[in-house]
Formats: sequence, structure tokens, C-alpha cells
Amino acid sequence: MSTRQWIGPTRAVVFFAVIASLPVFGLAHWAMNMLVFTLMFAVMSSAWNLLGGFAGYPSLGHVAFFGIGAYAEVLWFQHHAIVSGYEPFWILPLIGIGVAVVGLPVAALSMRTRADVFAIVTITLLFVVQTLAFNLRGLTGGAQGASIATAPFPAATYEQPFYYVLLLLLALAMGLTWAGMRSKVGLSLVAVRADEDKAAGIGVRVQTVKLLAFCVSVGLTGMVGAIWAYYESFIYPQFAVDPLITVAIVLMTFLGGRATLWGPVLGAFILELAQQYLAYSLGGSEFYLIAYALVFLVVMLVMPRGIVPSIQDRLRQRRRRRVVDAT
Amino acid sequence: MSTDNRLWRIGLIAAAVALAAGCASGNSQAGGAPSGPLVIGASVSLTGDFSDSGKAVKNGYELWANTVNAHGGILGRQVKLNIVDDASSPTQVVTNYQNLINKDHVDLTFGPFSTLLTIPASQVAKRYGYAFLAPAGGGPAVFQQNLHNFFFVQPAPTVQSGDVFVNYLLSLPPDQRPQTAAYAELDDPFAAPLAEDIRQKLEAAGVRTVYKQVYPSETMDLSPVMGAIVALHPDLIVGGTQNEDAYSQVKDLVQLKYNPKFMFQSNGANSPLEFPDKVGTTNTEGIFAPADWYPGSKASGSADFTAAYIKAYGGSAQTVDDSSAEAYAVGQLIEAVAAKAGKIDNNTIISTLHSGTWPTILGNLSWGANGAPTGQFNLVQWQSSKLLPVYPSAIAQAKPEAPKPNWGG
Amino acid sequence: MHALVQGVILGVLTAGVYALMASGQTLIFGIMRVVNMAQGAMVILGAYLSYQLFTSWGVDPFLALPITTLALFVLGVGVQWLFLRPLHAGDRSQLSVLVTFAVALLVEGFMSVTWTTTDRGINTSYANASWTVFGYQITLVRLWAFLLSLFALALLYLVLNRTRFGRAVRASVQNPESARLLGVESEWVSAIGYGLGTATAAAAGSVYGMLYSFNPNSHYDLISRLLSIVLLGGLGSIGGAVIGALVISVSSSVVAAAVSPIWSQMTFFIVLLLVLVIRPRGLFGASMRGAI
Repeated sequence: MSTRQWIGPTRAVVFFAVIASLPVFGLAHWAMNMLVFTLMFAVMSSAWNLLGGFAGYPSLGHVAFFGIGAYAEVLWFQHHAIVSGYEPFWILPLIGIGVAVVGLPVAALSMRTRADVFAIVTITLLFVVQTLAFNLRGLTGGAQGASIATAPFPAATYEQPFYYVLLLLLALAMGLTWAGMRSKVGLSLVAVRADEDKAAGIGVRVQTVKLLAFCVSVGLTGMVGAIWAYYESFIYPQFAVDPLITVAIVLMTFLGGRATLWGPVLGAFILELAQQYLAYSLGGSEFYLIAYALVFLVVMLVMPRGIVPSIQDRLRQRRRRRVVDAT
Repeated sequence: MSTDNRLWRIGLIAAAVALAAGCASGNSQAGGAPSGPLVIGASVSLTGDFSDSGKAVKNGYELWANTVNAHGGILGRQVKLNIVDDASSPTQVVTNYQNLINKDHVDLTFGPFSTLLTIPASQVAKRYGYAFLAPAGGGPAVFQQNLHNFFFVQPAPTVQSGDVFVNYLLSLPPDQRPQTAAYAELDDPFAAPLAEDIRQKLEAAGVRTVYKQVYPSETMDLSPVMGAIVALHPDLIVGGTQNEDAYSQVKDLVQLKYNPKFMFQSNGANSPLEFPDKVGTTNTEGIFAPADWYPGSKASGSADFTAAYIKAYGGSAQTVDDSSAEAYAVGQLIEAVAAKAGKIDNNTIISTLHSGTWPTILGNLSWGANGAPTGQFNLVQWQSSKLLPVYPSAIAQAKPEAPKPNWGG
Repeated sequence: MHALVQGVILGVLTAGVYALMASGQTLIFGIMRVVNMAQGAMVILGAYLSYQLFTSWGVDPFLALPITTLALFVLGVGVQWLFLRPLHAGDRSQLSVLVTFAVALLVEGFMSVTWTTTDRGINTSYANASWTVFGYQITLVRLWAFLLSLFALALLYLVLNRTRFGRAVRASVQNPESARLLGVESEWVSAIGYGLGTATAAAAGSVYGMLYSFNPNSHYDLISRLLSIVLLGGLGSIGGAVIGALVISVSSSVVAAAVSPIWSQMTFFIVLLLVLVIRPRGLFGASMRGAI
């Protein structure tokens, strides 16, 4: 029985060790580049999972906080210099906390609604932030966009710092999820997802737990936004706050399995790598958006629980059958 | 126990495969031996928001490649284009140029369609020492990057495309110039800066600004803005526009029954087919716009380009998309560098293009250190439902018409 | 002052079209508890259909209405049958938002492929005609659009209040379980309800195409406004949708005239924020257990 307890952490260590060692093998730049974007989505999906998967509040506006993180990073460095190139990473914790704090009143307000209405409210939030990004021209540069100095990393290892920072963030996100799943907070979230009123009735600290999930979730997302801004070096409102990113995150989490630890990561790896590669090799065809929408629909309708839970179920059934056969 | 382990075994195998694939490509040989085909990579928006112009750019590149290959290629090498789609997305454009440069090892790179995409893309090209010639995307931020490898293939930075109009106005005797001006500007990387540039120059010359308003890009309804302008009766209306809002501005003015003495629009009005279709053929008369290429241009290679375009894509000189012309000019420059230097590679392009003037179908082009072209656009005007160049006189095919005749309705 | 009044006039005229679109959306929510994220895309699709009929056969958009509304009605029923009905009741409210969003993307992709991303507009011969009444300018097309919207809303009202189907719909909205016990075929009601919602989108779309340029991407702007209107008016209430559209449309138009166009866009969202803070169920929304 005790060996069982070590499987989870061992798995995690092996995964991270493999991913962390990839650059050492001289992985080509284009592959590193794809992995950087994939890791971004893996972090964001894991973060979304806290709110949408565990707490049962499907936020469709997460990318608003991605955008806020991105602009925060860019604006900070319009007044501070980038010398070693690592400063944008040092202020990440600051940005994460900042975005989480900004998220607090938003959470308090929007979580007065539930489920589908919550989805509407968060989508509207997305458009509000996008409009603000366009209209607060003095601050964000509006449609002219805003720039941050390009990272002074050597061309040969340019992607590596981003890669490792994102890997650390992923470890953080997954660590928080794992710890959450095993703690009272996790149980409370499950209760909230199942039936919030009853949970409140039996004394679960519903409000605290909801706010916690929301703020941690958006804080992580904001940090990814900041890294993205630094990687692109120039951001525009319609790309920093892009509804398609929200769709992607949600799809990845659903595909992999909501409310599981590895589901979002699996979904991110599958979808982002596939999407970047397919867009590059098959792009020209205008059926891109149609194909994307169809994948989304198929996943929603056929496998709404996602890959990880579906596989776990099937394997559990087989194990049960073996036990029955054995007796 | 076995359930989850199986998943993990699969996962590790997948990672190992990815690793192997990544390493293998990292070591693969370059595809640009000096005697093989000249492979040119470009990421263009074939889907998504910029797709119409993106496709026009692709057409331009392909037209040029076919033309030059029919004449023996460049320095004996056939040109092979590797065009990929970035779905109008900045993340995809970065991935695309990474792939083109580091995976497919193209010899040269051509640019994508918009400023939004040109900036991240040009950074990738710079990192690996590739020259970057962009047919579009000339917003100020692009030049602020101060990239030595970057060349914007148009007569002038987009923000200064209105300078030719200012020059025209100042060439008129003082009593014929407009006294007052109103500015309706779209908030976007070119339109507003362009209009602001015009405004500053005109104010310095004594033209009083009676109204200025920047409107967001999703503005559905421009009638409040145009209504406010009309109430002030300006002599000149300057529209810093893209396409949609240019049409709205004109339609609103027609509905408000106001005809200014001069009207200029930075974009939209220079589209030979779309503009009359959208605002009504009787409403185009007298409107000014900037243009780099225009039907009937006498610039170097233009007649051949027009003939080849019509042969490949049909239509007439009036339906040629100027994004295609800009893309074609990019190719012309490569040909010219090869002819002058006797060899063609990124360093040669970068060092050669920074001096001298280079004839293209867009006129004679030359660049400053940061890739900003140092020339001037052409001023075109709608006359009798045709778009004609009217200024400067060297290229004019008609006299500029002023004041503007009334709307047809 | 003149500009303000002109702004109010513009706002009222524009409100008609938005009210029509929003009523379809709120109807769908009322019947099925589904937030139709595809409503904006359906409007644009209606605009494209209208555009195609106009450019290929010269059919005036107003005359083409029966065709476009019927076409989109059928499409709506199809979408409900294919994509919404299979959702398990438990997951439905969460997943419906995502599923309809995916449908919106699907429609957008289809429109990009069929009509490319060039901006389109329906330019009838009377497109620029306008009347001047007491010094205020009224564009003819806008006026017709407004009258059409009123007509369509009146029709909708008749359908809901004077037909058997309408009674079934209202029963399902008020109490789905009891309605089913009384023999109301809820699946058919849902399908037809969704179809009606998209049909109103088609009607609004034809008119929309005459007022504004559009391209496949335009549905994002629309859906964000529609959501604000529907939340303000109260989910499920058609009267609320109409009032909501009026309030938002007039205030954003007045802000555009009096302050600047930049802030008029924010009006939608500021109104929404006020709604959420003061009265989350909107002006006329029923107090729904489990949703608000």
C-alpha cells in the first residue's frame, strides 16, 4: 500500500526530469519554440483547472488576466531597465500576486452568479479588458501596441530561460493542484462543485475557498501572460486578450480531463503541439477554424470527461473484471 | 497500479520519440547549397483576419517567382518559394519563421503581411542573421526596433504616406489652400499616426484644426463623429482610416449632405474596385489618397507586372491588389542585388541595400539604417470614377481637381 | 444639445435591431437554459445570406427576409438537434456555453471559407438616403430597420402569447418539470425555440448588413453587446431584452456624441457592471435557483 503513495510523485519527478533535460540534448530551435508555447498552455490549463475543473466555475474570461499580466510586465519595464535579461523573470512573483489581488474584487463580484451565468460574466469581463486595453491609450498604447526590450540572451540558447521559467511555473501549478487535492481546500472545492448551497449549509467555508481558487488561478495565468509578452517583445490588445486563447485552454482541460492533476497538461501537450505543427504544414487551407471547432465539438459531445478519467475508468473496469474472473 | 503505469510508459516513449525527432532535425543538413534552388521562406496570413491581403501577398511572391524563373532564375538558380500560413497570429508567425529558418533552412526570408506580425517575425530573422524584406507592416514601432537586417519595401514609412498630400496643399497658392481642417482618426498602428503626422505639418503651415477625434477600431457608427465635424464646416477633412471606416466616413458625409472643399483618406479610398462599390460610384469624385502602386504606373517593370498579373489572375489593371505589387517589388529587389553583387545571401543583401536607390514597380526605393525607406508616396485622386496619380507632377497623369465636386448621392 | 438629441435618435433607431437579436438570445435561454454564444455568428450569417441574395439576384434585403429567416430557422433546429440535445442534462448548463461557442467558431470558419474575410456591406440604392426632420437627420435605412424590428418583435409576441406553441414555451420557461408532466414535448419545444432564436438573428442580420460593414470576425463584437443587453434585461425576459437594448443603445450613443466614441464602447460594460453589483438578475429576470 505504501508503494502506491510514491507512484504519483515519482511520475512527476520523471516527467519533469525528462522535460528539463531536453534542451541539453541540443534540441533544435524550432522544437524548443513549440515547447515554450506548449508549456505556456500547460500552465494556463492547469491554472484554469483549479477554477473550472475543481471548483466547477467555468471561466471563459481567463485570458483577460493573461492580458493584464502581459501589460503589467511591459509597463513595468517601460520605467525600469533590462540589463541581464533576467529582470522580467524576477518580477514574476510580483505580477502573480498583483494579478491575484486585482482578481479578488472581480471574483467576489462575479462569483455571486453560478455556472452558465458565471460564464457569461467572465466572457464579458474578457471583452471589457480588451476594450480597456484598446481605449486606455495613454497607458497601454491602445491599438499601437506596447513594446518591451528584446531579451539579450544569446541566439543559440535564446529559448532556454523562458523554457525553464515556464517549467518552474508548471511545477508550481501542479504542486498547488496536488496539495490542494489532498487538503481540506480540495475537499471543500469538490463540495462546492457538487452542490454549493448544501456545502454552505454544512459549514464549508464556501466563499473563502472559491475566492482562493479564483485568485490562485488568475495569478498563475497572469504570470504566463508576462512571460509571453517578454517572448514576443511586442503586444497588441487583440492578441494579448484573445478569446481563442480562452477557448484553447478550456478545450485542453476538457480533453485531458477536468479536475485531474495530469489532464490539463496532457491536453495542452496534445493540442498545442498538434495545432502549431498542423498550422505550419497544412495551414493554407481555410478549413483551419472549422477543424478546430469540430475538434472542440467532438470532445465536448463524445468525451466530455476527458482522456485521463476515461482511460482511468476503462482500466479500472478491466481490473475489476480481472478480480471477478480470478475469484 | 498497472493502469496508471501504462499511461506513463506511453508518455515516456512519446517523449523519447519527440526527443529523437528534435535532435535529428537539429542535425539535418542545410538545404541551401550554392548551386541548388534558391529557397525563400515566408509566413503569410492565408487565414484569419489578414487573409485577404495575405493572399494577395502570396500571389505577388508567386508571380515574381514564376516570372524570374522563366528568365533563368537568379544567378542560374531557380527560385523555390516556401510559403506557410500564420493564421494572422503572432504566436504562429514566430513559430513559422523559427521553422523556416531552423528546420527547413531556407536561404532567404520574405516578410508577412501586417505590422503586428512583422515585429516579432523580424526579431526571429535578426537572431539568426537573416535579411528581412517586408512588403507590409511599416508602422513606427517597426522602425523603432532599429534592426539592421530589416527593409520595408514601400516608398516611405506608412506613417509618412500622407506627406505627399501636405506637399501638394502647400504647393497651392495660399488663397486656394484650406483654412480649416478636421481629423477623424482610426485608432490603429498606422491610421492615427498618419493623420497626426499630417495634422502637425498642416498646423505648422497655418491650417487651423477645428476638430480632432480618435475612434476605436470596433466603432460601428461614425455618424456622431462625422456629425460633429459637419457642424464645424471645415474646408478639409482628413480621414486616418483603414477600409471599413473610410467607407463609413464617406457614407455619413453623403447622408449629412456636407461636401468639404478637400478630402483625404489614408486607406480605403485608394482601392480601385472596393471603394466605388462600397460608397457608390458617384460619390468618389475628388477624394485624395496615397498610393505606392497604381494602375497605369510607369515605374520600372510595372507594365510587365500588370500584364503578368492579369494573365495569371484575370481581371484588369483596376483589380490588381497593391499588396501583390508590394510583394512583387520585394522579389525585384532580390534580383537587383544579385545582379549588382554577383552573389545572393543574407549578408550581401543587408550590406548592399543600405546604399543607393533601387528601381521597382513601386518607384525608386532607398533605406535608412533602421529599414525606413526615405522616399515619398504618390498622391492619387478619383476623377470620373478612375483613380489617377495627380502629384508630384513627374508622375502625374492628370491635374489635381480642387475644390471637391459635390456628392452624387 | 443638437448633438445630444441626434445621439438619442440614433440610439433609439439602433436599439431596434439589437432588441431583435437579444430577444432571440433571451428566448433560447428561457426555454433551454442555454446561453447561445452563437447568436452573434448567426446574425452575421444572416447578413451574409442577405448579401448573397442581393448581389447575385438583386433581391432587396427586406424582401429576402422570409428566405433568410426560414433558412436560419432550419439551421437552428439542426444545431440544437445535433449539438445540444446529446448533452447530458447535468452537464448541460456548463457545456452549453462551450458548445455554442464552438458552433460560433464553426459558423465563422464556414463564412471565412465561403465569403473570405473581405469586409462586405449591402448597398442598396437607397442606402444613403436620409430625411431631415426638425433639423435632425434620420437615415432611411435605419428607420426601416427600426420598424422592421418592431414588426418582428410584435410577431414574436403573438407567437408566444397566442399560439399553442407559445403557451408550451412559456410553460417550459416557468416550470420545465411541470410542463413535461402536462405533456409538453420539451425536446421539440427546445428545438423550435432555438430555431426561433436563430430566425430572429437572421432578420436582424439582414438589416445589420445594410447599416454596417461586416466580416466573419464581427460576431465577437456583437456577442459581447448582446450578453450585456440580455443580462441587463434579465435572462429569459423578452420585454427585458427590449428595454435593455434601448437603455444601452441610447446611453452609448449619447456618450459617443457628448464625450467621445472611445468611451461609448465602455457604456455597455459599465452598465453591465452596475447590473451585477446592484441587481444580478437584471431588470426583469426571474430569480433563478442555481444560476444567480
